[in-house]
Amino acid sequence: MRVRQRRSGWSSLVLCSAEHLEYEACLKIFIRKDRKRCKFMPSAIACFKWVVDEAYIRRGPSGDLDFSSVDFKIGEYDRNAIEEAVRLKETLGWKAVTVTAGLPEAAKGVKDALSRGADEAYFIADSSFGNLDSSQTALILAEVIRARIREYDLIICGEGSSDFYAQQVGPRLAVKLGIPCISFIEKFLIENSQLIAERRVEEGVEVITAPLPALVTVLPDINVPRIPGVRDTLMAGKKPTVKISKDELPPIGEPPLRTISFKASKMERSCERFGTDTAEIARFVGSLRKKGVIG
Amino acid sequence: MCSIVSASTAFFLLSNSNYSVEVFLVHVNAERPLGRNDRLDNKIEGMNVMDFKFTEEQELIRKNVREFCEKNVEPIAAEIDENSRHPAELFEKLARGGWMGIPIPQEYGGAGADFLTSIIVVEELSRSCASTGFTISTHAGIVCTMVLLFGTEEQKKIYLTPMAEGKQLGAFALTEPGAGTDVMAVTTAAVLDGNDYVINGIKTFTSNGPTAGTYLVFAWTDKSAGRKGMSTFIVPREAPGLRVGEHFKKMGLRSSQTSEMIFKDCRVPKNNLLGKEGAGLQMAMAGFDGGRIGIAAQCIGILQAALDESIRYSKERVQFGSPIARNQAIAWMIADMATDLSATRFLAYHAAWLKDQKLPFSKEAAMAKLYASEAAMRHTVKAVQIHGGYGYCKGAKVERLMRDAKITEIYEGTSEAQRMVISGAVLR
Repeated sequence: MRVRQRRSGWSSLVLCSAEHLEYEACLKIFIRKDRKRCKFMPSAIACFKWVVDEAYIRRGPSGDLDFSSVDFKIGEYDRNAIEEAVRLKETLGWKAVTVTAGLPEAAKGVKDALSRGADEAYFIADSSFGNLDSSQTALILAEVIRARIREYDLIICGEGSSDFYAQQVGPRLAVKLGIPCISFIEKFLIENSQLIAERRVEEGVEVITAPLPALVTVLPDINVPRIPGVRDTLMAGKKPTVKISKDELPPIGEPPLRTISFKASKMERSCERFGTDTAEIARFVGSLRKKGVIG
Repeated sequence: MCSIVSASTAFFLLSNSNYSVEVFLVHVNAERPLGRNDRLDNKIEGMNVMDFKFTEEQELIRKNVREFCEKNVEPIAAEIDENSRHPAELFEKLARGGWMGIPIPQEYGGAGADFLTSIIVVEELSRSCASTGFTISTHAGIVCTMVLLFGTEEQKKIYLTPMAEGKQLGAFALTEPGAGTDVMAVTTAAVLDGNDYVINGIKTFTSNGPTAGTYLVFAWTDKSAGRKGMSTFIVPREAPGLRVGEHFKKMGLRSSQTSEMIFKDCRVPKNNLLGKEGAGLQMAMAGFDGGRIGIAAQCIGILQAALDESIRYSKERVQFGSPIARNQAIAWMIADMATDLSATRFLAYHAAWLKDQKLPFSKEAAMAKLYASEAAMRHTVKAVQIHGGYGYCKGAKVERLMRDAKITEIYEGTSEAQRMVISGAVLR
């Protein structure tokens, strides 16, 4: 099997060294192994996160964040991911599958995703999944995709979640599945069973080719997500949803990252004015130093 | 409940107390329209659950329609009001999203949701543009619903389906220059001539008149029979002898199109009689009952918008060194506004829920409409007051809200007519 993946396709992954090595190892296996795939319909998996709708977060009097009356939504970039999967369904006749891991309340999010045109959903729910770390999320999603979904051609993730925007789940998931990952995608095509993606980088656009199955993380510019109609929402509940409980998965372990507290950001003006000459710039730097903003 | 759902489902419900019972019922009873009877089913082993929760679908639909409005309605609302323009492009988008026939079954081109869902949509549309909310409310809540309830299979296929799909609007033509609240003063008459009815008369203040493709027209077929002498006809726009007048220039609700309709030897086939001959007035009253809940929903939208604007402005506007929201005079206006908004919601949702359960709702619909319209008027005036001079100028949303609110106390039965309905029911 020929793999025409350019190194730049995965050089941008933000991973710790151990995982990077793991990725290299997986890639070698992947290159050697001839994929024996037997399936009827190509499928795209869109992963999404059911996040707090930031419009409902209030700021408490002491700078704390009040989440008592928040509503939830599918993360903004994840909507682009779902839309892209549904477009593959509409243009190429693929099957669009959505996957999410979260609290049992995210069942509403599953319906939301299905109302956006997905054919079926995998929902991994547990009351302890409220604050999953991205490495845990990637582990859960990888396990479900590997063991339950099995056959897939493309995994689409949003570039980052609406709440933390860590941009970790997509690349980590690709590592765990041993498939190529291309991030910052603003356009892609499927041609002759391979993925041709346009990746936005600082200097311009990189065009990268990767074999399928692959994973892409998409930018919001890739599409305008549709607004589901009434009928779409009503039909969503009738589409197949596979519910998976925590017990059916291997242990996800402790999160390497711990959230200690949330604080509202505060913007205060010090009403100081600076000029642009050397002396003024030096005064500006001195002022920042004095405030402890820079070291 | 066990008689409705399977034993295993019942076990699931009982053993999973954390799980939303209502949601699951929607799943297992997927065959019937959403929400219908779900709340009545919500009894577990003799325990009645008082449930004010919307279904997940209703919550999602509200979110979606809100997003639709923010992207498509809000940006044009001021312009279509200023120019009294019917936004055909917006209605095309509404039709594509299936927002035009929400309470109509899918077999007739609708979305197949319950009435409460349609109320949520009217409310959210009205929050951005009361004219758009009202146009949809009249079209789907009254005209489509009446054809669905009383029409023959053939009428539903020919007239209801294109309306529910949003290909054309529906209009309700009852009011005449000399017959407003006094419905019996209608003079339009229809005479059977061979296989056609020939209609003569003038209707006025017909909402959606200039833009509709199908009209429900009320005319006497036997004036001597009194209340049992009026009939309803489905009149297509292209019917010979029908002339639709110019759009009226109005104080508010300006983009909702309103006109006179002149019937001069207007011929419609005999098959276009809706329901039975002589049943027109009863059908009109049934249509009004649903329509009144729609007006209450429109008022909720107006009130919510007034509250949103008032909160935003009163927190931003600084006078005497602090935001005006810190002044008790302003804060109390906003407190009253929020309270009346909640009260209106409960009245309207309850009336819609009764309608969905097929329980009597005429009095509740009148109460919801009366309270909602008067609250909308009262509080939009206050919202302009909070905005001061800025609120009196074009460009401020609150001045449009205030103008739009006034008509809600007048059409689909004035506040006085609602009091007649309510007092008639409670003094019976």
